[in-house]
Amino acid sequence: MVSWLNDNVLWLIPAAPLLACLWIVVAGQFLRREKAHQPVVLGLIISWLCALYLLFSVVPSTFEHTAEHADEHAAEVKDVHHEERHAAKGGAVTYYVYDWFSVRGGNEQPTTMTEDQARADAGGMHVRVELRADAMSALMLVMVTTVSLLVAIFASGYMHGDPGYPRFFGALSLFVFSMCMLVLASNFLLLFVFWEAVGLCSYLLIGFWFHKPSAAAAAKKAFVVNRIGDFGLILGIFMIWTTFGTLEFSQIFADPTLIAQVAIAQPEIFTTICLLLFIGAVGKSAQFPLHVWLPDAMEGPTPVSALIHAATMVTAGVYLVARCAPLFMHSPFALQIVAGIGAATALIAAITALTQNDLKRVLAYSTVSQLGYMFMSLGAAGADPEHLMQPAVTYAMFHMFTHAFFKAVLFLSAGSVMHAMGDVIDMRRFSGLRTALPITWITFLAGALALAGFPLLSGFWSKDEILAVLHMAAQSKEHGTYYTVILGVALLTALMTAFYTFRAYLLTFHGPEVFPPEAGHHPHDAPPAMAIPLYILAAAALLIGLATGPTHLYGHYLHHTPGMPSAPAHGPDWLMMMLSTILAIGGIAGAHLVYGSHRGAAGVKDNASPLQKFSFNGLYLDELYIALVVKPLRSLAEVCEMFDRMVIDQIVDGVALIPGIVGSILRPIQNGLVQHYAFVMLLGLAAGMVWMLQSLTGSP
Amino acid sequence: MSDLVISDAVQQLNRAIGLIVPDVIVLATVCLMFFSAPFLVSEKGEAPAGLRHRWGWLSLLSLMVAGYVWWGTSPEPVTTGPFRLDELAWFIRGVSLTFGAVLVLLTWNQADDARSAETQACLLSIIAGVNLVAAANDLVGLFVALELISIPTYLFLLLPRRDAPAQEATMKYFMLSIFSSGMLLFGMSYLYGAVGSTNLEAIYAALNAGRGQPMPILLVVAVMMMVAGLAFRLTAVPFHFYAPDVFQGAPNSAAAMLSFIPKIAGFVALYRVLAVPVVVVGQEWSLAQFSSPLLWWLAVLSMFVGNLLALLQTDIRRMLAFSSVSHAGYMLVGFVVGTATTGGPTGFEALLFYLVVYGAMTLGAFAVLGVLQRPDRRIESIDDLAGLSRNRPAVALLLTLFLFSLTGLPPTAGFLGKLNLFLAAWGTGTESGQWLAIWLAVNATIGAWYYLRVIGTMYLQPAPAVATAADNNATPSYLAMALCAIATLALFAVPGWLWALIQRV
Repeated sequence: MVSWLNDNVLWLIPAAPLLACLWIVVAGQFLRREKAHQPVVLGLIISWLCALYLLFSVVPSTFEHTAEHADEHAAEVKDVHHEERHAAKGGAVTYYVYDWFSVRGGNEQPTTMTEDQARADAGGMHVRVELRADAMSALMLVMVTTVSLLVAIFASGYMHGDPGYPRFFGALSLFVFSMCMLVLASNFLLLFVFWEAVGLCSYLLIGFWFHKPSAAAAAKKAFVVNRIGDFGLILGIFMIWTTFGTLEFSQIFADPTLIAQVAIAQPEIFTTICLLLFIGAVGKSAQFPLHVWLPDAMEGPTPVSALIHAATMVTAGVYLVARCAPLFMHSPFALQIVAGIGAATALIAAITALTQNDLKRVLAYSTVSQLGYMFMSLGAAGADPEHLMQPAVTYAMFHMFTHAFFKAVLFLSAGSVMHAMGDVIDMRRFSGLRTALPITWITFLAGALALAGFPLLSGFWSKDEILAVLHMAAQSKEHGTYYTVILGVALLTALMTAFYTFRAYLLTFHGPEVFPPEAGHHPHDAPPAMAIPLYILAAAALLIGLATGPTHLYGHYLHHTPGMPSAPAHGPDWLMMMLSTILAIGGIAGAHLVYGSHRGAAGVKDNASPLQKFSFNGLYLDELYIALVVKPLRSLAEVCEMFDRMVIDQIVDGVALIPGIVGSILRPIQNGLVQHYAFVMLLGLAAGMVWMLQSLTGSP
Repeated sequence: MSDLVISDAVQQLNRAIGLIVPDVIVLATVCLMFFSAPFLVSEKGEAPAGLRHRWGWLSLLSLMVAGYVWWGTSPEPVTTGPFRLDELAWFIRGVSLTFGAVLVLLTWNQADDARSAETQACLLSIIAGVNLVAAANDLVGLFVALELISIPTYLFLLLPRRDAPAQEATMKYFMLSIFSSGMLLFGMSYLYGAVGSTNLEAIYAALNAGRGQPMPILLVVAVMMMVAGLAFRLTAVPFHFYAPDVFQGAPNSAAAMLSFIPKIAGFVALYRVLAVPVVVVGQEWSLAQFSSPLLWWLAVLSMFVGNLLALLQTDIRRMLAFSSVSHAGYMLVGFVVGTATTGGPTGFEALLFYLVVYGAMTLGAFAVLGVLQRPDRRIESIDDLAGLSRNRPAVALLLTLFLFSLTGLPPTAGFLGKLNLFLAAWGTGTESGQWLAIWLAVNATIGAWYYLRVIGTMYLQPAPAVATAADNNATPSYLAMALCAIATLALFAVPGWLWALIQRV
């Protein structure tokens, strides 16, 4: 049993939600529609248990392997045949599913190739559908499956009674499958396939209430904006293919010296690859300037916002950059761009979040801002990639990990508020919900404290470490000034984060009790199906940072990821810890000062001053894009359409007339008279005869 | 001494008959049906109800037995005997028996109980004729086999339905067919005159020895006349005129048969007389070299005339007739290219593949018409199909499949067929071959127009008020339709096995 599980745990993780999805597609939409969540929850439980088993048992078994047998790695690869589906090597476990496609290169090779031959076959392409898990994937999987499971349980209560109940769970499980496959992909092409698949699921779920025009528009916007990023990603993958001749992670990341050689030989190309990959990450992780889709994506059901737009899908960009850290390491310039974009995003989103009236939009902008934080952390390595890459990646991944939990609880609590308030989410229309919704209140508070970076809670540990690594970067000689600015932005953002989080908290839960008319007489708090996930996530938001941060559990585990650069350990940065504590408490206090004694729903003034309007409208970026990108493109499209209609169509119509005309010339011969037919046959015979005889005499 | 001669002759006869056992079985069934049928019909011409089912089953049984025997045979080395069983003959026999069974299904309910026996018997002898064309090793045998196709066809056109259009169609076919047979026979006699033998192997040997070279004019006349005679069977322009009129007037199953069966016979006969290469001291040539410029023009003309005139048709059978003309053009491309390709499929391989694919898709299309046909209402104009997707969605879908295949769109076998022809023509590397490939592509595009128009009519136009219910008598047609659909899809998905058979030829 144990050995079977060791071999098969990898495919079970994505297969369980996929099966749940198939069940719903095939039968679940007709049978037991009201119970459509059951197969999904069951599948996710299986996935979650497998992911835990993978994390604690399977992947660690490969760790010593890495250290001791690194030199023998090359020799081992030769022994790996197609039949041997399951393999543990070089710090990763793999499970070979099937050969997707295979294009042979110039030199002829036998059709059955081992991995080594495939590599030798220059110019050919062999894409294997293979699952691969190392320390980083295992951590991601645990995060994805845990949050998904809790969100699915929450949604079984939240979505109850919706006519599209089975559709929701079908799309949800398809999403979890895609996300797991994205994380488990063993090569860039497979990663791209599921990168697109999560985009598709996101489209389906944002537009879940597709009869609402705003939801349909938001889904479209998310899809289109993501496409821009995906375009960059696929170009980056093409360039990796032309540069490295392979797309397999195991081959690209196995040999740091190879990457270094390429980076030295073709520095511009190498930097271009990194930047193109980063463009993909910018799209998926909603970074400036492609962040505009995420706030609109709040049109989807709230569990979707919690799952996709806070905890999992948007982290795919961070995962991609972290996964490609061995590449980014050799391009400090690309890393500096990453840090700059991250800082800009964090700042812009935080400013925008300050004045939003929609509770979910506040959380959405804070997600964007926190994702910016993660990219700042990744980019911090640009100051000194040799030493900083490892802490940078570790802390970015760690922040992603903690953020998943506290952002999920925040979103789900917001969902609970919506549930109680009859789908009203405008903070101007309710207040003082503390007494009416005690469960929601306490869990939201836990999440808010964690997000604000209150000492000893999750957000504190991870944010603090990001600040620490930025501080280290700021001390470097070469780019010190640049990173000092970024550190300043990070600190400012931390302050604003605490402020807007507690602004939202105070407006919603404090002040006089006001309910909107949609809520009915007695707003009811979360039922058990919703309350239990809230409690669990709230506990995680409070404790998971403490459990894995200062003990370095997370970091040490992550360091086993093959290809990760090793670096000396760093002690805690007391200065940053103190600063961030002051900022967090300062922000909370500030919010309390301004909004602590607000006069209920009417107490929120409309954003009157220009600065407030500037912030409320997201720095007018949407309007800017419409003016600079959408309008010119639309005019161009109109010109093209005119050209198409006036010129191309006319030409095509003209050409299309010719066959008809020729046909009607030929038609009279076909007049139905048999003697004519015979005559024309005879004519044809005679003509052929004359022609052949002439050609014969012409050329004896 | 004379005993020895006689026993030798008997032995030779036995050996010869041994090569055509499946055809003998089919022809024996034909005799049985012709002889016994009159006894089962009263003097007034009335037959017990349901008699046609028995004849149908008997025909199927006969074809199955023949097929079983055929499967047990294997190609043998060619001698100078009257028959031959080379790879081509073996392959064609399989094709004709298989599609013969489909045609039996299509014919099942076409004729009433009283005339079913004769109708099915005619069909069986046509199939036997195709087999014998492939098996003939002698010009005389070849001609007789071709007539074994033609003469029953006259009956086959008229027997099921004897109204004015059917009579007109039969008369037209009869006269023009006789005319073309005359041309063919004339050509054969010239060939005999040029080489001094009617045996195919002897003819090849004679050409090999350079016997024909002093008399090239004789050979040119022979080739031209034979091409003209056989082009009638292929429905190649300008010998195609009968096709639209006959298809329009003839019963559905007869039109289906005419669209496919004569093409097999025509191409095989053309291959036998023209295409077998002959090695003359150091250089390889064949009669096809005389004829290939001529056939080049026939191919191009057939493609263009067939497609352009199909555009103008409103009657679905006329449209299918012109489409049949254009497909003859596509297949002629393969014949013209022959073996003159470097790499990729040869023209003949592509031609044989296309022949099978074309059989599946054209018989499928006619089977759909058979399914839709009702005693009170024939499907005639394309507009009769309006709204079919609502009334009979499955049938409309299958017709769409067959039309897609005729157009040459994936995921149907027609796509692979056209692709192979195109590759073969392009692979010649010569200017004329590549022009053929280009004309093929251009015509595939023109063809898409009228095929897709039918699909558009089925799916986009409103259905007529009177809904057409399914006809209980159409079960065999349904079966034929399903078989053709499976073949059309399967030959796209797994063409390998057929390709392996073809490459042995």
